[in-house]
Amino acid sequence: MIDYSKLSNAVTNGEWKKTPELTQELLSAGAKPEDVISKALQAGMEVVGEKYSSGEFFLPDMLRASRAMNVAMEALKPLVEDAKIAKLGRVVLATVKNDMHDIGKNIVCSFMRGVGFEVIDLGCNVSEDKFVETVKNENPDIVGLSALLTTTMYEIGTVIKKLEAEGLRGQVKVMAGGAPVTERFALQMGADAYAKDGGEAVRIAKRLVGR
Amino acid sequence: MEMTQKQRILTVARGEWVDKLPFGARIDVWYNYHSAHGTLPEKYKGWAQTDIIADQNAGAQKRFFSICKERFHDMEVVVKKDGDWETREYITPVGTASIKLLWSTNEGPWLAYEHEKLFKSPKDYPVIKYILEHTEPYYNDEYTKERAEMGERGIVMTGTGLWGAPQRIMREIMGYELFYQEMMDNEEKVAELIEVMSELELKKLKIAINSELELINLCANWSDDIHTPVFRQFFTPYFKKANEMIHAAGKLSMAHTDGEMRRLLPLFPETEIDVAEAVTPAPQTRVTMSEFRKGFGDKVTLWGGISSIIFEPGYSNQEFDELVVGLIKAMAPGQRFILGMADNLPFDGDINRVGRVVDLIEKHGSLPIWI
Repeated sequence: MIDYSKLSNAVTNGEWKKTPELTQELLSAGAKPEDVISKALQAGMEVVGEKYSSGEFFLPDMLRASRAMNVAMEALKPLVEDAKIAKLGRVVLATVKNDMHDIGKNIVCSFMRGVGFEVIDLGCNVSEDKFVETVKNENPDIVGLSALLTTTMYEIGTVIKKLEAEGLRGQVKVMAGGAPVTERFALQMGADAYAKDGGEAVRIAKRLVGR
Repeated sequence: MEMTQKQRILTVARGEWVDKLPFGARIDVWYNYHSAHGTLPEKYKGWAQTDIIADQNAGAQKRFFSICKERFHDMEVVVKKDGDWETREYITPVGTASIKLLWSTNEGPWLAYEHEKLFKSPKDYPVIKYILEHTEPYYNDEYTKERAEMGERGIVMTGTGLWGAPQRIMREIMGYELFYQEMMDNEEKVAELIEVMSELELKKLKIAINSELELINLCANWSDDIHTPVFRQFFTPYFKKANEMIHAAGKLSMAHTDGEMRRLLPLFPETEIDVAEAVTPAPQTRVTMSEFRKGFGDKVTLWGGISSIIFEPGYSNQEFDELVVGLIKAMAPGQRFILGMADNLPFDGDINRVGRVVDLIEKHGSLPIWI
């Protein structure tokens, strides 16, 4: 029986210098590349998300873990067709209009990608029209909205209203977060869910796509 | 004679008792938004923000970016402006580095967001080191004017700049993510850059110490994204050095600690910073005010506690009052505590809730607080 725990733990602990070698070891032992991705790399990132939410891990831990996963992925990419990598769902993420803060959104992107979501990162200062255009073109399962300022957090509501006006609201789940945003505020704006941080965003996104 | 708002705030910052809780209110996000949109309440049209705070009977807190300006020598600095966008190119004998800024008042005062950071790749290390070594700070006369306008009505919150030396490298020059990537790949070069930045910032600190400023801001926007080992490696030594100079001059230091502080809280006392300003408790973060009080210890003055979001219309007056009174009680007996916004009145907040806090202090904030 193949033991994925060494590689999974190396990802969780951010041991990026070890993960390519551990990946090769698993492949040599007969592991399928897609299993290495789901049972070791994504499983390791899952733990990172939990530890981030509980306060045990912080930004640099997450960045080290992401690098540990990415260098292992580089070794696996030539061996596996993209279609065979299990995707949890497609997510469009961005910081709302007039808001230039992107660190929180970037953290959510890393966690989402890490556990197997396909993420379309639109960056920061993104208008409601751009969200609508992307939802039309990319057909995501989830739209994630981030705002760091009290002056911009109402843009969460603007985007949601625009999605409604364009008849797109029914086809996507919307989640929101950011420093001044609370669950109460996010739900008042019409979001389906609120996430306090990257780890929680993963759990909620999975729930929203029924995983 | 009754103490002025400024005297009351500074007395509590020093750890001494006053008659009732001081309140330093900050409204620049609200004020700038409504001034720009012509939507200030009828009564306050044409008023200055400090006059509005004084009209609400509160002490004022106004952010002023830095007591220093900078001039550059032995390099060419080419500035190009396009609306609110600005590109600065630093052409030095060892290479060129550039930064792209977006100026905005979204957070209250005019602030420049680094759309493209100065540091983009390891080839920028020698150029940035050169820029910092050839930057000369000098006193910013505009502070004298701001201070005179404020008078005894409150505090002009300023210091060497928005951020301390390590955070300037981490946040302004590189950005958090690239900083931590570089710490994985080039830790010695990062450390060298922080050392050079520290020399520049300590030159600015001497200017601040030699000015009239009593309470010197050393760093802003603390949050747990500043990882504990990095904090102890770079931040604590810098703050200790700075505080040695500040305290030797009989002055006080301050940090704008408005982020999630679970992990940094126990480290704060190690820095020897005197005032933690914009302390932001639940519901906006995960730390309660009682946990803050315990974590900061008895040598640090806390300034803040009223989360911005409770000024929003979504919170009724009754909820607002309950949260503020709860906060006052949580801080009993009330030593080393200045009520304040964490960190600002939001644009859709009710300005009259500033006066409401003053009324609640009159009812519940006489010192010492008994519960």
